[in-house]
Amino acid sequence: MNTSSVYIHIPFCKSICSYCDFCKVLYNSEWVQVYLKKLYSEIKENYMGENIRTIYIGGGTPSALSLREIEYLLRMTDLFHKDYLEEFTFECNIEDITEELLLLLKRYGVNRLSIGIESFDLDNLKLMNRSLNYEDVKAKINLARRLGFNNINLDLIYALPHEKMKTLKNDLKCLLSLKVEHISTYSLMIEDNTYLSYQKVHSIPEELDEEMYFYISHILEKYGYVHYEVSNFAIPGFESKHNLVYWHNEEYYGFGCGASGYIGGVRYDNTRSLSNYLKGDIRLNTELITKEDIMEYEVILGLRLLKGINIRKFYEKFGVNIQDAFNIKPLLKTKELIYEEGHLKINPDYIYVMNEILRKLV
Amino acid sequence: MQEKKIRNFSIIAHIDHGKSTLADRILEYTGAVSKRELKDQMLDSMDIERERGITIKLNTVKLKYNYHNEDYILNLIDTPGHVDFSYEVSRSLAACEGAVLVVDAAQGIEAQTLANLYLALENDLKIIPVINKIDLPNADIPKVKKELEDVLGFKEEEIILCSGKTGEGVKDLLDAIVERIPEPIVNEEGRVKALIYDSYFDSYKGVVLLIKVVDGIIRVKDKIKMMATNKTFEVTELGVKTPKEELVDSLSSGEVGFLVAAIKDISSVHVGDTITLSGKEADAPLDGYKPMKPMVYSGIYPIESNKYEALKDALNKLKLNDASLVFEPVTSEALGFGFHTGFLGLLHSEIITTRLEREFNLDIVVTSPTVVYIAYLTSGEEVVIDNPNKMPTREKISKITEPYIYTNIIAPSSYVGSIMELCQNKRGIYKAIDYINDTRVNIHYEIPLAEVVYDFYDKLKSRTNGYASFDYDLIGYKGSDLVKMDILLNGERVDALSMIIHKDFAYAKGRWTCEKLRSVIPRQMFQVSIQASIGSKIIARENISAMRKNVLAKCYGGDVSRKRKLLEAQKEGKKRMKMVGRVEVPAEAFLSILGSDEND
Repeated sequence: MNTSSVYIHIPFCKSICSYCDFCKVLYNSEWVQVYLKKLYSEIKENYMGENIRTIYIGGGTPSALSLREIEYLLRMTDLFHKDYLEEFTFECNIEDITEELLLLLKRYGVNRLSIGIESFDLDNLKLMNRSLNYEDVKAKINLARRLGFNNINLDLIYALPHEKMKTLKNDLKCLLSLKVEHISTYSLMIEDNTYLSYQKVHSIPEELDEEMYFYISHILEKYGYVHYEVSNFAIPGFESKHNLVYWHNEEYYGFGCGASGYIGGVRYDNTRSLSNYLKGDIRLNTELITKEDIMEYEVILGLRLLKGINIRKFYEKFGVNIQDAFNIKPLLKTKELIYEEGHLKINPDYIYVMNEILRKLV
Repeated sequence: MQEKKIRNFSIIAHIDHGKSTLADRILEYTGAVSKRELKDQMLDSMDIERERGITIKLNTVKLKYNYHNEDYILNLIDTPGHVDFSYEVSRSLAACEGAVLVVDAAQGIEAQTLANLYLALENDLKIIPVINKIDLPNADIPKVKKELEDVLGFKEEEIILCSGKTGEGVKDLLDAIVERIPEPIVNEEGRVKALIYDSYFDSYKGVVLLIKVVDGIIRVKDKIKMMATNKTFEVTELGVKTPKEELVDSLSSGEVGFLVAAIKDISSVHVGDTITLSGKEADAPLDGYKPMKPMVYSGIYPIESNKYEALKDALNKLKLNDASLVFEPVTSEALGFGFHTGFLGLLHSEIITTRLEREFNLDIVVTSPTVVYIAYLTSGEEVVIDNPNKMPTREKISKITEPYIYTNIIAPSSYVGSIMELCQNKRGIYKAIDYINDTRVNIHYEIPLAEVVYDFYDKLKSRTNGYASFDYDLIGYKGSDLVKMDILLNGERVDALSMIIHKDFAYAKGRWTCEKLRSVIPRQMFQVSIQASIGSKIIARENISAMRKNVLAKCYGGDVSRKRKLLEAQKEGKKRMKMVGRVEVPAEAFLSILGSDEND
């Protein structure tokens, strides 16, 4: 029996973060009702009965929904064959975490929480239009621990305008003290059409951004995290199975407004317009993937893993050696790419300019 | 034999004096086009001409005009106005017996008014002076009349007042054309002689020739012979433009029109050559006109090296009606195979490169233009340098000379100080100031052409709020203290960025060039040093620090194809890059150093 994975997008938030350019609207219970119904029919119509290995409910802010709505959403996942389910992630905002919510999640098999912290610094939080405090975060995480959640991810955003190394160091100190299993870190991108882009703020200098990146990597590794993907760190054994599906170029369903999926050799994007989605105009585009495309994705995605691409597996999958499919020689010569333990990987010194390398490769 | 009632004429004017609009009105008045059909500036057929409001390529239109109950044929042969294209003017003038000299009622005489008038007089043409735009609120007819009388020597009663906008005076002008311009000397009996005054390539018909028949009659199916190349062809089509194409059976002495003869090989046609009949050849060709010599050279390279043949083909097609365009293959270490291309001036070069990009869809790199220097070596040898890389080493040179121009800069007298300052900064030598009237002057300087080809005209315009006009004559070569400045990227000389420059300006230009390149070359995976050198001496240096960040951090909701699209976009951007050693240099970099180090 085939296995697959599922991503479900919940495009509702209680407030809008200044940097976010993803698909979201302010919470509105009437829309949520209709949305969940549409989501249900999208799943019904498209799911082909595979065993589901990982589920990821993201947003938006899934935890912004009411408990009743969340229960309805979680019950929907019973449509999937979950006998072999290994990982079930639910994204939360810290202020939404309550005992009732956690118990509800647990009842439906959620075994991983992903919490958007982003920063503990007041200036940073203000700039992002977010709010939280360390004590509250600590209390909520302890609560989750008590209720049996032993796989928690925290998100961190760094390189905000005006941010100094000192701020970042303090953020990391706070994060580390919480002893979670997984940490995702993102350098702030000022995307078009976000509140931030209208504020005419400027990115910090590339040099400082890079310094922060390598500092994060250095300090987290010192505390036992493995830097396994460009932006992701995990205590060994807690690497996100769902995200590895993306990086290993495996297939997955994407359900909901703004979601993307890769099923039956087709990559598709759903509409980012909520009104279109509610009208039933769901698919924005589909891309039939050729073998060349698949190989290209394999490389673009696989090289995001610090471990790199398994050369033997590449051959087994495509019947061609990776060095014959791509012009990697010049990049080996300049040591931008290296071979290690049967893998082709980006030289860790160059991981922060990996687009430059990928561009020359594909 | 029937009497020929033909008038062949051109309209000449300074740019923006309303020549094309006046031509539109003439077309409309004579019924060649209806008001409905009339697009603005009918004769300007290239997009680039309409966009810039200038005329580059000439067009000919056959008009019918009834004068005192007799039908006349008026052939209007259009001319460009810009200084770079005076050769085109002389070509069209060679096919005319008269010219209408248009002067703006508000602006008065400008530099190109003079230049074009002199060209017309050299061709023994009858001149009809016209003051145009008399409807303008700031028109000053008495003042402009006086300029025409005092400066150009016309009589008051000769001057026709006109408005291309309202159509006022157009009838007077048409009458004057019939009355004053002599009819062409007709000799239908003689052996055929026809002047090729222009040509263009049509993908269906092959080469189309624009001709003026001087002697005899050319008929469809005649066997013609090009007197310069001795190639023979059979005429398949003859016609005139009204401005729609209209086919005719023959063109006879005094008439202008187009000729098609299934000519596929561009090289068998020279503009300026004489057509005669094969087997009944004329004894001597007509006086052609000297093709103009290119004044400015640039390298043109395809960004993608496999487009070399396409570029060659495109240049050949452009050359077909642009005899002044010359090019020869050249190889650059930095840019690969391309063409060393000669132009009449900077505008000419801009027009050609724009046409290559637009009409032929080519992505090209154009190197900084250079004039033709002559070096005298200690060995007694003489070397022509039309490319900085041909410059001999300093020890071998006893003297270098460069071309100088003599300027006509016509401007309100209040700008004299500012214009003189500009000319001095450009190594100009003051010669004289002529007063056109109490408020306007003609300033004469001798300036090295090299100083003018970059941005002199733009600077002049900005310093005088657009009131100055500029034209020049070449006056020959003079010695100068010139050096070759090289640019090095990570220690490697980039041949396409070398330039010849006056020694006193080298340090400033070197610094400026390095800074400019630093701002246009993106960060690379490694540090890049940019140096300017004269011989082995480094005179300026800048660094581009290594790229530190180029990564997509977040992956929203499994949106993997977005990553790929972003990557594709970055890749697309890099296509316009040239590899110099390991450094990726954007095509724009080669042109960016064209500007100057002055702040104004």
